[in-house]
Amino acid sequence: MSTKDQKRRIEILQGTLDLLILRTLLLGPAHGHAIARAIEFRSDDVLQVEQGSLYPALHRLIRRGWISVEAGVSENNRRAKFYRLTPKGRRQLAVETGNWDKLAGAIARILRPAEREPQS
Amino acid sequence: MKRRRRMLEDLDEDIREHIDRETEDNIARGMTPEDARCAALRKFGNVARVKEETRDVWVAAWLERLRQDVVYTLRMLRKSPAFTAVVILTLALGIGANTAIFSVVQGVVLSPLRYFQPDRLVMVYQSNPRFPRVWISYLNFQDWQRSAHSFERMAAYTAGQGFDLTDPGTPEHLDAKQISAGFFETLGVKLAVGREFAAEEDRQGGAPAVVISNRLWKDRFNGSPDALGRTMTLNGIAYSVIGVAPAGLSFDGDADVYTPLGQSDRQALNYRATHQLSCLARLKPGVSIPQAQAEMDTIQKNLDELYPVDDRELGAVVLPLKQEIVGDVSGVLLLLLGAVGLVLLIACGNVANLLMARSAARSREFAVRSALGAGRSRVVRQLLTESVLLALVGGGLGLLIAGIGIKPVMAVLPEGLPRSQEVALSLPVLIFAFGVTVAVGILFGLAPALKHSKSDLQIALKEGGRTSSGGRQRVQSTLVVMQMALTLTLLVGAGLLLRTIHRLGQVNPGFETRNLISFRVGVSHSLTQTPASTRVAYERLIEHIRAVPGVQAADYTDAVPLSGEGGFMPFWIDGQKPASLQAAPRLQGFLTGPDYLRAMGIPLLRGRFFTAEDTTQRPCVVVVDDELARKYFPGDDPLRHTISIGFATFGPCAIVGVVGHIRAFGLAEPPAIVPLSQAYVALAQDPDPWVQPNYAAFSVVVRTPLEPGIIMPAIQEAVGEIGKDQPVYRVETMQRLVEDSMSTQRFPMVLLGAFAALALLLASLGIYGVIAYSVAQRVREIGIRMVLGASRRDVFRMVLGQGMRLVLVGLAIGAAGALLLARVLSSFSHLLYGVGTGDPLTFISVAALLMGVAILACYIPANRATRVDPMVPLRCE
Repeated sequence: MSTKDQKRRIEILQGTLDLLILRTLLLGPAHGHAIARAIEFRSDDVLQVEQGSLYPALHRLIRRGWISVEAGVSENNRRAKFYRLTPKGRRQLAVETGNWDKLAGAIARILRPAEREPQS
Repeated sequence: MKRRRRMLEDLDEDIREHIDRETEDNIARGMTPEDARCAALRKFGNVARVKEETRDVWVAAWLERLRQDVVYTLRMLRKSPAFTAVVILTLALGIGANTAIFSVVQGVVLSPLRYFQPDRLVMVYQSNPRFPRVWISYLNFQDWQRSAHSFERMAAYTAGQGFDLTDPGTPEHLDAKQISAGFFETLGVKLAVGREFAAEEDRQGGAPAVVISNRLWKDRFNGSPDALGRTMTLNGIAYSVIGVAPAGLSFDGDADVYTPLGQSDRQALNYRATHQLSCLARLKPGVSIPQAQAEMDTIQKNLDELYPVDDRELGAVVLPLKQEIVGDVSGVLLLLLGAVGLVLLIACGNVANLLMARSAARSREFAVRSALGAGRSRVVRQLLTESVLLALVGGGLGLLIAGIGIKPVMAVLPEGLPRSQEVALSLPVLIFAFGVTVAVGILFGLAPALKHSKSDLQIALKEGGRTSSGGRQRVQSTLVVMQMALTLTLLVGAGLLLRTIHRLGQVNPGFETRNLISFRVGVSHSLTQTPASTRVAYERLIEHIRAVPGVQAADYTDAVPLSGEGGFMPFWIDGQKPASLQAAPRLQGFLTGPDYLRAMGIPLLRGRFFTAEDTTQRPCVVVVDDELARKYFPGDDPLRHTISIGFATFGPCAIVGVVGHIRAFGLAEPPAIVPLSQAYVALAQDPDPWVQPNYAAFSVVVRTPLEPGIIMPAIQEAVGEIGKDQPVYRVETMQRLVEDSMSTQRFPMVLLGAFAALALLLASLGIYGVIAYSVAQRVREIGIRMVLGASRRDVFRMVLGQGMRLVLVGLAIGAAGALLLARVLSSFSHLLYGVGTGDPLTFISVAALLMGVAILACYIPANRATRVDPMVPLRCE
């Protein structure tokens, strides 16, 4: 695998991870570890993401202004950083979800062609 | 920046807590604490990499974009290596030449002097109605020191005749300065070791003490501090070393030893009318030069009234030190900087044309990038990155060229160039080079970039990148015309200076310059204790020298023509002494022996020169030159008159002969201030009180057909026979002195000539490039013309004609520029000689040269145009 391919793969993964984080935060603010657990849980453990890659993703989202961060206290009275969706992020989530659906639909149509395929 | 720091400062903690939580969860799932932590860490991934990637998120966006631009630019440049190489080389030559010249200007003219608070230092001279600036007298200096309040300190000095060092070490002649007490403190330098003279030492009868130079200290005393207190035997007297000057000290000429001025021989000191000294002073804080000048005017006026015989009509002049040191040469250096700047402009013209041609070829690429959403500013930024990158590489290479080129430039500069040790690639020079580089880079980036981003997308995509916009052609033509004009200007300047050197070489200075050698010789001090013994010793010495085989004639003189020596004295005829000696007419006086005329080859026009009988026992005689005779005895016989010379009056003496006038100060006519009248006095008639100081300043001139390398050893041997400790030094051939006298004109000629040659090369490449490009663009048109019946010769003439039109317009504009440069050159008093500013020979030959070179440059593309197969371009549509 060349470095270019590797980079492109990483980019795809980054985009998808961003989407998952945004979706998770739709339900309310959470700290980093909770987000990681939520993603694993909701995907039935199919998506095993290296938990560390969460942090660059979170910072990217902060920089783009899609999420914000504040200090808070977690369930067991521990200090934690809580991430929250911003209105801009909420809108971006809708756009990206729409794009994702379109992409997934297009791929599905190719993989499972409709019965209208011409008879050879 | 702050946001970034804030976000990242808790990162370590956040990660740690994340891992802790995962560990706890793992423990809750039933793992052991160690396994729990291991699993948590594994699940997290490489912590260091996570931290690095997170930090990278916050890297400034502009930095990332810059990195992308640079990578892209490097790729594009690597694809066209020829283009890149030519641009870089052209810029390197232009920037390098400018940096080299600027480093000279910076070192000599701009950088501050290396003394404490150098802008407080001034020189104080006397003035009289004839000369705006003359040396000062010791008694006047002492009165100034007592009364002047504008100065913190004042010091007087003179570059004396030097000393012959006989101990310790081998006999050597040393250059010396006589300085008053407090000289070094006035200058603002700290002695390396020891101290300088105190007021008690600086007077007649004071203990002989000497401050030595740093070089001498290292040579003779190995640089050890116990040199203090040791003695040196100078001119037969033991001086004790009391101090060592700092390394690298150079003020108004170098000196090996400094002795107290007050201990010099009394002739120089005791006559208020003897002006041999220079005065250095340090202004008090808050005092300006005009204020100091006003005070000195008042003080000198009082002195004029107190001493009407010696000081009547004498004035005082206060001038800033730096100007005194570099004033003469700064103008020419700045002129050369301007000239080399023109070369840079020509180089920039070539680079601009190249960039424009290239960006025309890339217009399609820009259109596509714009279509893909790059945005105009992005394209502009990339073009700027490209041009700045090219400029930086060119500038770096140019710096290398400058570093190598400085040495040959310094070799061309006149030997006496003040402050030449300051010339180096110092920090201000590097900043200059960098600034010029960046300015050039931005200039070239903006011009084609602004043009390009406006390109119409549709047109660019359709025409496949072969858009020939008339605008581009116009800009290119304008640049070529500009280059031609500037090149003509530089060529004319160089040509005028070349003709000057040629004219100077043809001047007859009034004496025979070939086969003539001059040198100085120190006579043993044991032989010169009294005036009588001194005369005998010198007479013996010259006889010995005359006896050397190969010596046709030899004698003494106190001033060798063209060496810069010699002084002016007031004179009057037939005993009619003027009321004010300061305002009296001046002549240039020479103290010589009888064989001097024959040795120099000066024609005798009337009467006789000196003989062995002209001694102090006989009435004094003087020989004048034809200028004096013409001016003061028109239509009369000078031999029937008498003449009196000098402040310490010699005469009245009978005029016994008239000789030809000689050009003693330089081959060109001297400035109006210099008196043309010359007179000769026999050294054997020099009065007793003046014998020792005057004789010590003698040079010997020898006429011999032999080379110095052959005859000087023989002469040295002859001198050694009389005294083992008599050094022979400052050996020069008159030919060499003649050449040196032209060095003021030669160095700008060489440099300007080099710039003009470089300009010619660049401009011819420029016109070649533009014409070749135009031919390539017009291939279709040429094909059509040929099909319509144009012959090869018609095409050739068309292309050549296009080039010639550019050259002619350039010549016309350049002629104006050249006239301007010629006028600037002639405004320098000593640059041009024998050529008028509008010298037709220079202008015409230079214009012809430029035309010829341009025709040659256009020949190749014109030829190629004739080879166009008309069917090919037509078919390609």
